[in-house]
Amino acid sequence: MSSPFAPLFSLQEVCKDYPLAEKGGQQLQQVWSLLRGHSPRHVFRALSDVSFSIHRGESLGLVGVNGAGKSTLLKLMAGVVTPTHGTIERNARVGALLELGAGFHQEYSGRDNVFLACALMGLSRRETLERLDGILAFADIGEHIDQPIKHYSSGMIVRLGFAVATSVTPEVLITDEVLAVGDESFQKKCMTWMESFLAGGGTLLLCSHSMYHIQKMCRQALWLHEGRVRMQGSAADVIRSYLAWHEERDRATKAKSSAELAAQQAGGIYQVKSMFLNGRDSAEPILLPPRGTLTVSGRLHSPDGRTPQVAVGIVRADGTPVYGIVSEMDGHALTAGADGLFRYAITFPELPLLPGRYVARSHAMDPEGLRLFDHVERPFEMGGTSREFGYLQLRHEWHDDPEVPSPP
Amino acid sequence: MALSRAWRHRWLLRSLLQRELRNRYVGTVGGLVWVLVHPMLMLAIFAAVFQYVFQVRLPSASPEQPYVLWVALALWPWLAFGESLSRGTVAVQQHGDLVKKVAFPQELLVYSAVLASMVVHATGYATVLVLLRLWGYEVHFAGVFLVGLWAWLVLGCAATGVALFLAALQVFVRDVEQLLGQVLAVVFYASPILYPLALVPAALEDAMVFNPLVHVLEPLRQAGLGRQWPGATVLVAAAAGAGALWVLGLAWFRRLSPHFEDQL
Repeated sequence: MSSPFAPLFSLQEVCKDYPLAEKGGQQLQQVWSLLRGHSPRHVFRALSDVSFSIHRGESLGLVGVNGAGKSTLLKLMAGVVTPTHGTIERNARVGALLELGAGFHQEYSGRDNVFLACALMGLSRRETLERLDGILAFADIGEHIDQPIKHYSSGMIVRLGFAVATSVTPEVLITDEVLAVGDESFQKKCMTWMESFLAGGGTLLLCSHSMYHIQKMCRQALWLHEGRVRMQGSAADVIRSYLAWHEERDRATKAKSSAELAAQQAGGIYQVKSMFLNGRDSAEPILLPPRGTLTVSGRLHSPDGRTPQVAVGIVRADGTPVYGIVSEMDGHALTAGADGLFRYAITFPELPLLPGRYVARSHAMDPEGLRLFDHVERPFEMGGTSREFGYLQLRHEWHDDPEVPSPP
Repeated sequence: MALSRAWRHRWLLRSLLQRELRNRYVGTVGGLVWVLVHPMLMLAIFAAVFQYVFQVRLPSASPEQPYVLWVALALWPWLAFGESLSRGTVAVQQHGDLVKKVAFPQELLVYSAVLASMVVHATGYATVLVLLRLWGYEVHFAGVFLVGLWAWLVLGCAATGVALFLAALQVFVRDVEQLLGQVLAVVFYASPILYPLALVPAALEDAMVFNPLVHVLEPLRQAGLGRQWPGATVLVAAAAGAGALWVLGLAWFRRLSPHFEDQL
């Protein structure tokens, strides 16, 4: 172990290529070129130019979509994989939990598997015996420990794996999305262990799709995208950008699919051409006072001149529907203006919504009211403060002496 | 150098070896008893077929040195050698899940496969020789023990070296395992195990010199029969050759091992 200020991990321009499967006789050729130190001809680059370092106590969270190279990076850092180019300096005792039950043999008992797993991590038999009680207590498998692990549930296996990986008191613990398997109480146990591990100066390298776990455990985060570092910095910043990117992508795919839908319908579709909240057309939320009045209005395009219907709804910012109505339900018919567009306006007086963010939506529907076409939304905010729960303020009265009718 | 990594991970090697031995008998009722039953059965077959049915007589053998003892002295070392190679060759491929998930010196997988084969058949060897002695045959135990120790070590080192070479190759080219089975069958009949060197036609006898197994199995057999101690040249040359095989095999293995994970 070098000086205490040296980074625990230091990666310089690390690349990892995976050779693509070769056919027939080319396998021998491949061995020959590897022996001469040449790289294979047909490769898939899983990671390229990844450079960063981790210092003691700076836990790092890895985020990225499936296939971004997260697992490859963890394997590289755990020493399971050698980089194709670049260097990895490792100055720490590393405990790795790359996959649930890696190195466990189905036919053997939990106890036997603990011995081999500990030996794989470099523990001697005596050291393993010293730790055995702790491992068994943490894994909490009870008398099943002497049963072959093929009879274990996946939760039991992950508990055993975690207990073993943590028994070496590593300086760096590498885990790859394994916590997701355990049940609630085990997850809590792991979290508690990790918190005390972090408090004791341990460093965590966590790959997870749970932003909550990353934010809770890691100060730093690294966002991998298509094998490259897309962003690196404080966990909060990286997670925010990562989530924003996801929303962006979802929207892009949605926009694409609705554009395709439009293209399919050659004659055009019923469309919401414009939408206003209290006369304003703004992507920024308009502010309403408590019990304020909301008027949703706009224009619809009809491809065939027939009178379309309009559906207007209010949802919470998270998408929970609050209220929705179609013009046909009230027997209201839209009228066309001089421009050929159909006008609609609906007023909700004294809106009984609790403070918070909401979204108003307008949908264009065909004259039969069967199909929903377009979809436009505008945000608004109900002002004020309230300690009530839910999202509707229901009319209510309190009584000193409620007159409860007595059961007959 | 070759051994230091294995020594540092001796506990792992021991665990892998235990596992390798238990793997053969895991789930069986007889368990390790099979280690003893199998060679006894094999001995019985050899005795029945060759001694009583074929009534094989060796050209130069005296009557108290029957064919069974003569064969047994060389057969078990061969079984150990052949099995070391066939099990060692697939050792890395078989433990692919381990190689892909855990960082550890992967040559230990080959070592444990070879060691396990050696241990199993050495036990069988001892059992068979003791049984033959009890049967009344003259086994020269001092010769078997001293020269046997040398022979088994030489075979073990050589098998380790070749197995390291083949195990690494097997990861890339899966044909190695298939090919090895054929090659081992040929080598078995090309070595003086079931027949004495004296029976080999003169034209082939010269070629036999190039079969390294001859130089290990023959001295062992001669010593076991109490006929002749091997010369120092043979002892040293065979040991040096086996050691060289190990070193070369390990160098080859280490060169390719960083790429194992890509292939498994």
